[in-house]
This record gives sequence, C-alpha cells and structure tokens, in this order.
Amino acid sequence: MAQRRDRFTRGWWFILPGLTLMVAVVGTPLALGFSYSLQDVFLYAFDRKTFVGLENYRRVFDDPLYMNALRITGIFTLGCLVLSVGFGILIAFLLNARQVKFRPFWVAMFLIPFVMTPIVGGIAWKFFIWQQETGVINTILAFFGGPKPYWLLDRETALLAATISNSWHLIPLAVLVFYAALTTIPDELHEAGRVDGAGPFQALWYIILPILRPHILFVSIIIITSAFREFDMIWALTGGGPGRSTTVLSIFAYNRGIANQDMGMANTIAFTMFVIMAVTAWIYITLYRKTGKAEA
Amino acid sequence: MKHAKLKKRATAWVVHLLLGLWLVFSLLPPVMLLAASLNSTALFRSPLDLLLLRDFTLDNFTQAFTRGDFWFFFTNSLIISGAAVAITLVVCVPLAYGLTKISGRARAAVSYGVLAMRFIPYVVLALPMFLIFVNLGLSGSRTGLLLAHLSIHIPFATWMLVGFFDTVPGELEEAGIVDGCTPWNLFWDVTLPVVRSGIIALAILVFIISWNEYLFALFLAGSDAQPLTVGITRFLGGAEAGAEYGVIAAYAVLVIAPVILFALTANRFIVSGMTAGAVKG
Repeated sequence: MAQRRDRFTRGWWFILPGLTLMVAVVGTPLALGFSYSLQDVFLYAFDRKTFVGLENYRRVFDDPLYMNALRITGIFTLGCLVLSVGFGILIAFLLNARQVKFRPFWVAMFLIPFVMTPIVGGIAWKFFIWQQETGVINTILAFFGGPKPYWLLDRETALLAATISNSWHLIPLAVLVFYAALTTIPDELHEAGRVDGAGPFQALWYIILPILRPHILFVSIIIITSAFREFDMIWALTGGGPGRSTTVLSIFAYNRGIANQDMGMANTIAFTMFVIMAVTAWIYITLYRKTGKAEA
Repeated sequence: MKHAKLKKRATAWVVHLLLGLWLVFSLLPPVMLLAASLNSTALFRSPLDLLLLRDFTLDNFTQAFTRGDFWFFFTNSLIISGAAVAITLVVCVPLAYGLTKISGRARAAVSYGVLAMRFIPYVVLALPMFLIFVNLGLSGSRTGLLLAHLSIHIPFATWMLVGFFDTVPGELEEAGIVDGCTPWNLFWDVTLPVVRSGIIALAILVFIISWNEYLFALFLAGSDAQPLTVGITRFLGGAEAGAEYGVIAAYAVLVIAPVILFALTANRFIVSGMTAGAVKG
C-alpha cells in the first residue's frame, strides 16, 4: 500500500512542471481575456481601462455585424464538416478497395494539402485557382463554354469558395482517419457481406458506416474546432470580404481589437467563441465517454 | 467467367481513375505554385502555359532569396519552430507519462482539462496575449511568440502522448520495479523506448504546426520576430503593385518546401500522429 501511494506521488513530479507551464500559457490569457471582456480597454491606452460589467456582451448581441459574423462562421463550419466527412469517407472507401495498387503513394500524396501552410494554400487558391481571368476553374469552365464568375470578388460566391478551399486543407485528416479505421475491418466481414449479396454501396451503408461511427465523431469534432476558429485561409483568400461576406468571428474579433483598437469588444467577441467551443467540447466529451463505455 | 474478370478489371480502372482525380484536386494548388515560380511571366498566363513551362526561368527564386528579407523570416521560423519542438517534448513527455501513473479521478480531471484546452479558438488567447506581452516587454519578441505557440502545443501534445503511453503494458514497469529500477529509470530506460516512434511523430507534427502558424505571428510578432508566414504576406503587399506573381510563387514554394518534404519522407509518422486518439485507447 505504501509502495502504491509512492508510485502515485511520483507521477506528480513528472506532471507538475508541464502543468504549471500549461496553466501559465493557457490559463493566464484566458482569465485576463475574460476580465478584459468586462472592461472598456483600448489598444495603446490600457492604463485607462474602466469596468463596465456585462455591457460589452449586451452591445455584442445587439450588433447586427456580430450576428452576421456568427452566421457566416456557422455556415463555413457546417460546410467544411459536411464536405470533409462526406469526401473523407468516399476517398477512404476507394483507397481501401482491394484492387488499389501503390497505397503508400496515394496516402503520401493525399496528405499534402493538410501539411501545406494554410496561408500559402490560400494564396495559391486565390491567384491560381479562383482567379477570374486565368484561374484553373474558370479556364476549365470557359473551355466548356461556361461563364467566368468572379468567385472571391462576388458576395454570392466568396463564402462558397472559402469553404471549398478550407475543406481541401481539412479533408486529408478525414480520409486518413477513416482509411486507418477501414484497414482494421477484417476481410471476413467483407466476405460475409459479399456472400449475402451486398454491393459496394450496401456494404458501405450497412457494414462500414456503423463501424466508423466513433471515427466520424472524432473527425467531426476536429473539423468543427478547426473550421470554427479558422483565420489564415480566409484571411489569405478574401481578408473577410467582399463587404463582410466572409468575415468569420476570428476575423471580426481581429478587426475590432487590432484594427479598431477596441480590445474590450474584441475580447468579448472572442469569449463568446470560447463559450460556444466549451459547450461543443462538453457535448463531445459526453458522447466520447458514452461510445467508450459502449465499446468496453 | 471471362465476364467476371472483365468486370473486375473495369472496377480497378474506375477506382484508380477516381483516386487520380482526387490526386489532381489535392495537388493543384502546390503544383500551380511550382509552375508559376518557374515561369518568367506568371501574371495572366493560362494555367496550361504555366504548367508547360513556356517561359522557363529560375530567376524568380534568385529574387525571392535576395529581396524581401527571406533569410530574416526563415531564421525566425526555424528558431521558433525548433524551440517549440524542444520545449514541448521536454515538458509534455513527462507530463503525459505522469498522467498515466496517477489515480483515476485526478487523472480524469487533468486529462479532460487538457482536452478542453484543445477547443479554445486561437484568437481567444492571442488577443489578451497582445496586452500581456506589452506589459511584460515581450511584444515583438521570439520568446513571446514561442510562448504563444506553446499554448497550442502543450494541450495537443499531452493528449496525443497519453494515448501512446496508454499502449505500454503495465507488466513492463512491474518487471522494472522487481529489478530495482528508480522512478527515473522506469521512465527513461523502460517506458520511453517503447513510445519512441510516437514521440517522433509528435515532434514532426509540432514542427509543422509551428512552421505553418500565422494568426499568433500576425498578432504578436511585431517587426522583429516575424516568421515566413508573415513574411510572405508582407512580400505580397509590397509586390502586388508590380504584380510579380512569379516571385511570390517562388517565395511560397520556399515556405512550403520543408513541410512538403516532411510529408513525402515521414508521412508514416505524420499519419500515425493524425489518427492517434481516433479510438479510445
């Protein structure tokens, strides 16, 4: 018993340095950010801050521009989620087909959009893919006699273009998680399905999807977290425009805090993002524990 | 029988065709960058002209290296990313190991705390850090930017490493205890070698995340600590008037070269890191 307790205490000696640093670099800004959200603070003049209570929150929720940013973030996040999970399953399913040759090659190539610097990815999409005159997409459209939309310069299409570009960056994660899960499905299960006369799409629906359920949960939460806070890709593509058609919450908070120097409001906007993600995290942890129990 | 064989071959063709289409979609942005960087007039040339290298030149790369302070940004990126990897490993490997050694309830509390931190949007931390760093005299310093990176890396790394340490069978340490190992020996000589490939995977991912990071750098780097990701946007701003797309593309190719190289040579590690934590260990 004494030895047991000794082993538990020795664990803490390994934990404490890291835990201290983590609280310092994450806890401190989080706590201060919340306190700034209760004050009038301005950049380069924050010795003159005044406590205003929840006034900033009231102003934020009354602000149609905030509601607009919230709506755009929601559409963007949902779009990235649907595209990533959908294409993720599809490509992983193809990659796992028995006929596929050179699997390591495909895996290595499909990984590249995920590791490619998002700000550079955004620049590449902007100048060489969405570009109105000579971008790849409009060149292909023109070849078939189609129109040449302005994509990133048009309020109607900019958000769609940003969602597709960001999904390009996120889909590899979904593909590789689903593919790793599919390779663990024993061949006998596929054989059994085939004997029962299941086609590939029936197999996908009745055999593969139920097995993938915990992985879909995992991928969804990573995609939601990542898309919800996305800044780099949209910043490179449109900078939040045209108008405010791609101003997601991260960009909205940046504009308020750094460009408009209103740090109180910026921190309030950011803190509402934190609350939204905290609720999401809580839902995820609850579901995660449940699936864990179901598997145990 | 012949019919079945034909059908099988047709399926194989269709599968490879679809994978090929996905390959084109995946590689289009980096390939277009590379193509544009190797042409002398990248502006308003058709994609096909660029891909066929109609105006082949290496001059864009010479210019990207010599103009726009490339090496200044490169040095900042390298120092910050390298230091981020080193500190994350030194701090998080013991942290995650210790978590697998403490009792259930305390472990759950810290673990879910760590997991919850992974959900914090970066802008939530970046805004207050801006003010904190001004007060601490860290604004525009590499140290400040490094601390900001650590706020992403520590929760991420700890969560991933706990998953790796959990795969180490308990009997291994039991045997070590019988052999009279000290706690440090148990950690360093017994357990650590088992999770070595997981730690390599983590180090590569942390490096890539730091190398690619832009938001913190935009908020906190001032003018002295700017990494390549800020460098390219500044270069873009300065060059857009002259619209030297070729030079911008060359610069972009140089920024992504290290991470692409990692993806090509160490993809096994990267994939194992990305998929870690997918299923409950």
